[in-house]
Amino acid sequence: MALLRFDNFDPVSRLLTLQSELDRALRSPEFNLGLSGPGAYPPINIFESDDTLMLIAEAPGLELTDLKISSAGRTVTISSARRPLKMAGDTHGYHRRERAQGEFTRSMHLPEQFDLARAEAKYEKGMLIVCVPKREEAKPRQINVQSN
Amino acid sequence: MAAQEMETRAKQEVQHQDKSREQTRPGRYFLPEVDIFESEEGLRLWADMPGVDEKDVEVTLKNGMLTIEGVVSLDMYRNLFPVYTEYNVGNYYRQFVVNEDIDNAMAFSKSRCLKQRLLGRAVSR
Repeated sequence: MALLRFDNFDPVSRLLTLQSELDRALRSPEFNLGLSGPGAYPPINIFESDDTLMLIAEAPGLELTDLKISSAGRTVTISSARRPLKMAGDTHGYHRRERAQGEFTRSMHLPEQFDLARAEAKYEKGMLIVCVPKREEAKPRQINVQSN
Repeated sequence: MAAQEMETRAKQEVQHQDKSREQTRPGRYFLPEVDIFESEEGLRLWADMPGVDEKDVEVTLKNGMLTIEGVVSLDMYRNLFPVYTEYNVGNYYRQFVVNEDIDNAMAFSKSRCLKQRLLGRAVSR
């Protein structure tokens, strides 16, 4: 699998590269979340860089006040609810109602080398992004070669 | 009564049976899930397009066809390495045939989803 550098790609190539790499990871999951897997809400993709693990959940339509993220040991838990739309004035009912509503809670075990105590989260464009730094000892480092 | 537990539904890809409507951009497009309801002033449409920036949403109403397109932002994925995935990422596209009484479309959005209000003189069912 390649690191998604995108440096010399146009937006179309970027998208094709990303879709292809996500497909590959989808077919061969090497990362074990422990408590929940595919099918649980919200769907989650996990990416890694040299110093961080990034969990990206597609969860549109949430209110920040409903969103709760907690950690205990190696487990991170996300919970929230998607409320019905508030409709002002007289309404004549729905023509289509496809967007799911309800509550969810999802917990995931993360590998030991990630430090949940320093995790940060943000919610933007309908995506919940949790960044978990690697512990210092787990970061890649250069080893100097010495000669006698 | 306990609130309903949410479940993940796999994203539906746009299937273009009609080749004349095929997208010029390659890559997979997904169908955004929508709510549409009718009020005194017209129709309102909510579409979930996670990952799409407000400025990258395009809405057109032409010849009775409402088209919604959202181009997903990819900058956040730079220099990342996917280790576990449950969904794929792509642009969003959906079309609806709308009532001929709809005379204007006004789109506005919040970060979480596109909201679109379709103003009509008199919307009949």
